[in-house]
Amino acid sequence: MTPSVQYHCPCLASAPVPPPPHLPSSSYSFHPLHTLFFCEECDAIRCNRCVSVEVSTYYCPNCLFEVPSASVRAEKNRCARNCFMCPNCRNTLTVVASDPPDTGDGRLTVPVSTVGEPPFYLYCNHCRWDSAEVGIVFEKPTGLAAQLQRYEDSAPDSLEFDRLKEHFEPFLRAASLPSSLSSSMAHPGSVVHPSSAAHSHHLHSSSITAAASAALARDIPGVGKYTPSLARSTSARAGRDRSVNKDEMAEYRSRLDITNASVVGGGGGDADVEFIKRVEKISSVASLEQRWGNSWATSLRTRDIRPQRIPLHSKRSKRCPVCTHILIKPEQKAQSVRYKIKLVAANYLPAITVALPHTFPTPETVKRGLGKPASASAANDRSNVALHPGESYSFHLALTNPLYDPIQVRLATPRVHATSSSSGTQEKARRPPFGVSIPTSTFTVAAFAEAWEYDEDEEMYWTDEEEFGGVGSNRGSRNKEGKSKAKAKSVGVLEKRANTTIVGGEVIIGKEARGRLKFIMLVQYTYRSDDPVPSESGEGGGADTKASTNKAPETKTFEFYTVIDLGEIIPTKLDGDPDG
Amino acid sequence: MAPTRDKFTIHSRAVVCQDVELRGDITIGAGTIVHPKATIYAIVGPIVIGSNCIIEESVIIVNRRKEIMRIGDDNLFEIGCRVDSPAVGNFNTVSTRARIHHTVRVSNFCIIGAGCLLAPTEDEVLGDYTMVYGPAAERRKWSGRGRVQEADLRRKHVEYLREMLPKFNRVRRGDGM
Ligand SMILES: [Zn+2]
Ligand SMILES: [Zn+2]
Ligand SMILES: [Zn+2]
Ligand SMILES: [Zn+2]
Repeated sequence: MTPSVQYHCPCLASAPVPPPPHLPSSSYSFHPLHTLFFCEECDAIRCNRCVSVEVSTYYCPNCLFEVPSASVRAEKNRCARNCFMCPNCRNTLTVVASDPPDTGDGRLTVPVSTVGEPPFYLYCNHCRWDSAEVGIVFEKPTGLAAQLQRYEDSAPDSLEFDRLKEHFEPFLRAASLPSSLSSSMAHPGSVVHPSSAAHSHHLHSSSITAAASAALARDIPGVGKYTPSLARSTSARAGRDRSVNKDEMAEYRSRLDITNASVVGGGGGDADVEFIKRVEKISSVASLEQRWGNSWATSLRTRDIRPQRIPLHSKRSKRCPVCTHILIKPEQKAQSVRYKIKLVAANYLPAITVALPHTFPTPETVKRGLGKPASASAANDRSNVALHPGESYSFHLALTNPLYDPIQVRLATPRVHATSSSSGTQEKARRPPFGVSIPTSTFTVAAFAEAWEYDEDEEMYWTDEEEFGGVGSNRGSRNKEGKSKAKAKSVGVLEKRANTTIVGGEVIIGKEARGRLKFIMLVQYTYRSDDPVPSESGEGGGADTKASTNKAPETKTFEFYTVIDLGEIIPTKLDGDPDG
Repeated sequence: MAPTRDKFTIHSRAVVCQDVELRGDITIGAGTIVHPKATIYAIVGPIVIGSNCIIEESVIIVNRRKEIMRIGDDNLFEIGCRVDSPAVGNFNTVSTRARIHHTVRVSNFCIIGAGCLLAPTEDEVLGDYTMVYGPAAERRKWSGRGRVQEADLRRKHVEYLREMLPKFNRVRRGDGM
């Protein structure tokens, strides 16, 4: 498990403080940088949990046909062209022709003409399932969806659903008369007072509600009679107003009795129990995965599973929940992988990666000779990957600036974790299980420039102490307990290269520590702002923006929380260290 | 046991590229194509490969047993697969990077899917039309529908390679016919 960094999205919470990272529920608040968005209006991070989503296109992932949203419902969210999924392995099926008649002597007569002949059938290239196995063949290789439609439409659930739709049709039609829909939406309160129905639109608007309440008030066989007086009086009054009661709905009679649905392959019930009792081979029972994607409950038998039309995919736009500005909007065409609008957090926030140099020498440490001999240790150090209690480790944080201007960064480790982290372990560890030191003074990350990408070979290092002298000042304080496997200067700015700055930190793990080593890190960065007006619309956005007071007026500071996960703390008994 | 002396019997209508590792007693039948960078090791017993097989790049075929390893006709060994199976029938496909241990005998019209590993501890025979597929090497029986067209395509594949490979590769000749 490699160390990781995730970013906090406050999701409009009033308090921007992230939850303690050792709580399992906290994973909902932390996200990899590449999944986050950034709203320029609100000056705030947005994640997939808090954005509002709307579909911009439906398309088939196989034939890339863009399905008009009007036909999506009619086609039941699946491709209505020639795209099918293998019922056995869910690969895409292809239409193939049958072999010419066999000579029948078991010996293949090759070569033959490749021209196959009807009937055609669907065939899986991956597992070699073919639709002739379940008796589905086609006279011509086109319009297969329409030809398969009858199998789909003849499913008992599908027939039942159609019957239900038919049953409700008159009521829905009555409810959607021109004046009624708008008024019922506009005055939802009017539904509650049918007695005041002086105007016709009130009568219409109440019809659905009344029909539903009438249906609910109807006696259910075997269930105790429940007729609240209010409901009775309301319906009675409604009935008195009209000669023909259009609110009353005919009783619905189902096509099938649910108790014997499994007899006709509907799933569930005694028929399935009987089948399972007689199962000889596990492969004759269709796996959950094979039945999962079906629209209707299907038979348990492997031999009954049918090819499915491929479910449609959608391209979605996402909006900021506060200001409703679009954060990301794909191009309409299904073939295109571009975006019209793309406000991703990676273009605004510094990208942070974390590495444990003792487990795997980073390219930087190898180049600079800090690491052990690269290839040998990389392979042999598997045992050394774990973090052990009672040890101290140095780690590297690499911050990469996506902005065209340099940023001033300040890191902090707020004490969110230290107070509550002991509850995560069974042991009653009273003391914080680990302590983290990171550089606390401000450092610079150079601006992003396209040119950097091309001269990777020309490394530029500024590691002179004059420039970063004060940064690693607190490194000595913790070293009394730590092994000096970390180099003398382990906390502070280690390296600057292009638009990346690497800083070193150190963690000291207590003897009682268990579980994952995670801690919250607050990142503050100051950048040159093109927009002189500090936006205050990001209320609840958590990530505060404030015009800097002690800097030039055109700079702005943004801050956000991250959680750094260094890995699992694994107790060791092999460790025979003198002070271990 | 001392390793057998190298002895390559390559049919005149076979195409075996120069850059191929051959070791031991090997017979290659008519029309069989062996791409460059393939490896065929008859470590102990000999290997006999039938006609019209295709052995692609970096395929490794090894016989660790004393008995003759027999590979039938019209088999396709795709790039990077590894076959130790002591017997392979006809019209089988061993897909890219699939591995078959010496405990498995393959009948006819079997397909070992890409990356599948077949390594049972007990000896086993894969019946005709066995499909092995997916990351868990699941198995099922193919109905065999479409096999004539597929066999026809295989023959065309062989014919094409027999024509094209010698144009771009040096071809190796056996010790005898
Ligand atoms: Zn969020
Ligand atoms: Zn499609
Ligand atoms: Zn399949
Ligand atoms: Zn916004």
